[in-house]
Amino acid sequence: MNDIQLPAIDYAALLPMLIVFGAACVGILVEAFAPRGWRFVIQVSLTIGGLVAGLVAIIVNRDLEITTIGGAVTVDGPGLFLQGAIIILGIVSLGLIAERRLERGGPFVAEAAHAANSDGDKRQEREPGATEVFPLTLFAIAGMMLFCVSGDLLTMFVALEVFSLPLYLLCGLARRRRLISQEAALKYFLLGAFASAFFLYGVALLYGYAGTVSLTGIREGVLQSEQSGILLAAGLALLAIGLLFKAAAVPFHVWTPDVYQGAPTPVTALMAACTKAAAFGGLLRVFNVAFETTAWDWQPVLATVAILTMVVGSILAVAQTDIKRLLAYSSVANAGYLLVGVVSLNGAVGSSLFYLIAYGFSVLGAFAMVTLVRDSEGEATHLSRWAGLGKGSPLFSALFTFLMLGFAGIPLTSGFTSKFALFSSAWDSDQSVLVIVGVLSSVVLAFPYLKVVVLLWLNPPGEETPTVSVPSMLTRAVIFAGVAVTFVLGVAPSFLLDIVADAGPFLAK
Amino acid sequence: MNAVLLAVLIVPVLGILAVAAGAWAGNRRLGAVLGTVFAGVGLFAAVALGFDHSGRPWTRITEEWVPQLKLSFDIGVDGVSYPLVLLSAFLTFLCCLYTAWKGTERGDALIALLLATNVGMLGVFVSYNLVLFFVFFEIVLLPMFAIIAGWGGPARRRAAVKFALYTLLGSLLLLVGIFVIVTQAGTGDILALTESGGGGLSRGTQLLAFTLLALGLAIKAPLWPLHSWLPDAHTEAPTVGSVILAGVLLKMGTYGLIRVAVGVAPEGARQAAPTLAVLAVVAILVAGLVCLAQTELKRLIAYSSVGHMGFVLLGIATLTQAGLTAALIGNVAHGLITGLLFFLAGSVKDRAHTGELARLGGLREVAPGLSGMLGFAAIASLGLPGLAGFWGEAFAVYAAIQRDQTLWTVLAVLAAIGAALAAAYLLRMLRLVTHGPPGEAVAGMSGTGLRAVEVTSFVPLAAGALVVGLLPFVVQAPIGEAVSGILQAI
Amino acid sequence: MDGYLGSYATLGVLLVVAGAFFVVAYTANRVLRTNAPSAAKSTSYECGLDPAEGSDWAQAQIRYYVYAFLYALFAVESVFLFPWAVVFDGLGMVSVAEMGVFVAVLALGLLYAWRKGVLTWT
Repeated sequence: MNDIQLPAIDYAALLPMLIVFGAACVGILVEAFAPRGWRFVIQVSLTIGGLVAGLVAIIVNRDLEITTIGGAVTVDGPGLFLQGAIIILGIVSLGLIAERRLERGGPFVAEAAHAANSDGDKRQEREPGATEVFPLTLFAIAGMMLFCVSGDLLTMFVALEVFSLPLYLLCGLARRRRLISQEAALKYFLLGAFASAFFLYGVALLYGYAGTVSLTGIREGVLQSEQSGILLAAGLALLAIGLLFKAAAVPFHVWTPDVYQGAPTPVTALMAACTKAAAFGGLLRVFNVAFETTAWDWQPVLATVAILTMVVGSILAVAQTDIKRLLAYSSVANAGYLLVGVVSLNGAVGSSLFYLIAYGFSVLGAFAMVTLVRDSEGEATHLSRWAGLGKGSPLFSALFTFLMLGFAGIPLTSGFTSKFALFSSAWDSDQSVLVIVGVLSSVVLAFPYLKVVVLLWLNPPGEETPTVSVPSMLTRAVIFAGVAVTFVLGVAPSFLLDIVADAGPFLAK
Repeated sequence: MNAVLLAVLIVPVLGILAVAAGAWAGNRRLGAVLGTVFAGVGLFAAVALGFDHSGRPWTRITEEWVPQLKLSFDIGVDGVSYPLVLLSAFLTFLCCLYTAWKGTERGDALIALLLATNVGMLGVFVSYNLVLFFVFFEIVLLPMFAIIAGWGGPARRRAAVKFALYTLLGSLLLLVGIFVIVTQAGTGDILALTESGGGGLSRGTQLLAFTLLALGLAIKAPLWPLHSWLPDAHTEAPTVGSVILAGVLLKMGTYGLIRVAVGVAPEGARQAAPTLAVLAVVAILVAGLVCLAQTELKRLIAYSSVGHMGFVLLGIATLTQAGLTAALIGNVAHGLITGLLFFLAGSVKDRAHTGELARLGGLREVAPGLSGMLGFAAIASLGLPGLAGFWGEAFAVYAAIQRDQTLWTVLAVLAAIGAALAAAYLLRMLRLVTHGPPGEAVAGMSGTGLRAVEVTSFVPLAAGALVVGLLPFVVQAPIGEAVSGILQAI
Repeated sequence: MDGYLGSYATLGVLLVVAGAFFVVAYTANRVLRTNAPSAAKSTSYECGLDPAEGSDWAQAQIRYYVYAFLYALFAVESVFLFPWAVVFDGLGMVSVAEMGVFVAVLALGLLYAWRKGVLTWT
């Protein structure tokens, strides 16, 4: 029995994830032992401290390129970039999660499981919210970080579950409109569980085909395996379904609008920015590392999915009457653009990474602003309630308009530079059809954004226009970060484009 | 001259800041006046820019911006762009002056938007980099959208959204065309691409690129059948909005066709030229026929723009020295004349509170000054020799005949018929508006004399139309030289 | 039974026979059986227990869920512990520390549950 060898573990490479996981575990201890009155302060500082420490560790590791723990984790340029992106976006979205001025006791309730509108549920609406959201967020972020650097499919699956489970729970914790919040949580959980099952079946079939679950092993196996190609195709298809579900690609997007609408807005922001980055990090890695050599087989299928995602997402966005659903469909359409980057393989990895950062900050800013428009019922998300806000709150409306223009891809915003970079690298990789569809669909998608702008400035205010609340410094900082990055990446994107170019391709050895 | 070139772009931006400062201080009137002053300084700088035209191009500034996206801050002027730079600064100044003087509601904001539009338009005309060209092209969209949506007529919102969506569609097609060029040729330098005859791109790529670029620019120009945003936008826009739209914005399309589409993909242009010419002639004829049946003054002028731009496009399609020169002169002439027409239409509507031709009439008796100006502008527009409209259209037809092929000759004849149609509808308009017994709307008009603000806005435009008409070589000389540079590559 | 369509004829005959068998069997059943409906026969069948009264939902005690959950947790833990126990002396202290971390993380969950009062029976 002595022939068992411990796999070599490079703790330095794992350090960023270990820090964040560790901070999450400490957060649970705080929850168990710290006095109630102190928890909020301790948790916020612990969470931010943990994330910042993780970020520092990533920066220290920036030139690392290594495969460790027996191939379970592959730390490489794109992986580190994605980890950094997720942490930075996570820190920003924490500003929303920790906001306590807009709503007494924060945007969350303590228990997700109270039946909606029962006595217990009504009571907890008046009580301060749970501080468990902070460790949960940390676990989710750490899971996403692991997801982006997984070297084999099983690690990837574990990471998928680690970041999904906290999100399911967080979705159900909205302080207001409890029923749709619980609906969102349940829907996300059930559909997410199906997607995980698909993913796992896919892993099993691919193991049958290649005799290994490691991504590089599958890459080799594709060339040598004597098994039926059907195993490969079916395994790949099932695996892709699991991944595309998280990325909200059509036809696996149906959960997106409901969940985005029902979840507490800070969590929606976290999902739109970080989960998107993680899901596409995973997609990019799987397709670039494991299946690059079989690209001819899957590219047409994935291209079809990309086209469907862009077209359906942008067309359905036109018909939305709720700002959160509108942003949800726009996130579906953006998933389509990112899929163009996935289909284009290595040529577009850098611009996809850039896109994730640019989109992440814009969408965080947009959701942060959504949390401000309130009436006595909580957030007023129906678009008709936003009519004429420009009269009373010009600064708010101007900033929101700017973000909408960013989404629409107008020059001097990050929306333009990121789309330009992504589409031109896709064109370079001979995906001209996808680029043309992408460009045309972004014209369609510009319509709902314009609609919101027209609504803000030109429509007469309704009978009871909601007020734009004054938030604490945290939410202000989030909005500032969202708007500032949208602008800076629109005007001077060179430095970040250099960084993503330096990140290089995924490590495929 | 580099400093002057930068000043041309920066002064309007300072004007916007001045307006904002005025609003901050609570004195909107001051903001409006300051904005107008800055527009004037901008015009002064634009004039000064023309003094030194020894270099080829006259002036050029090149700075790296985002090398990864092939975007560099590469601007300059030459004979092709200078007349349009001047036109843009000139019309913007007049519009700002008109707005400030008239005391339009929220006039300072309108002036800021006009200045922002001006920055975008000037940027388009001075860009020597494809991506920069696109950036400026898009910048124009928003302020124009806001001008229509904020100060327009009753159906303004619909018109504004239609304008925005058409323009976005056009600009994104343009963007795809730019992708093709930039990724294949590896540079966004328009002048270098022109000199090398398209950066060594293959025939097929050039045709694809030209088609995409031309489609995108043709929406802006607008070329039949992509013109349907234009009548709505022009009709609903406020007077100054219509003036800028017709006077300068449309020129971004035609200028882009010459500078970008023809300049960067000459081989593609050669292959696509007959199609472009046929569409241009169809536009001339369709616009003429539609105008004959128009019942609304501003709508009529808007459709007449489609026809006039048809001549410009025909000139471009010939790809000859005479044709391109005619197109650029036609651009300037149309900017002056149609700008004037829209100013006049605005004055008529201000007084009569309607633009329905059926309810107007007899303006000659009630307001002789206004109707005299309208008569002058209409005659200039129909291309009477000695006025600006003549040269562009006559030489576009001449250039088509010069091609000496059956297709082109037929097109030339049809275009000439279109010119006759233009005469017919403009005279019909004059008969309906100025002649006859005063209609009910005209009879009830107040303030029939020309106001000082109107005289100040109309006279420079009329004078410009006269100067270009009598001394065409003023614009022809620099244009011709620059055009031959573009044509050498083809 | 030959020619191009011959093999399909076999299939057709089979379909007809199958259909006839179905009709004959069900008709015979209907004709021959006794018929004595009662209320008890139409209630739902629940493995020998009385069906839940009042509504379609039966509530189970939430405490069982907690115990099932804890069981699953520690069962899984022991699945990892047993094989490790067989070989750990050959792997050195590092593996002991790593397994310690693993157990500690699980214990952390238990600690949290205890502090939150999940483990009290009432």
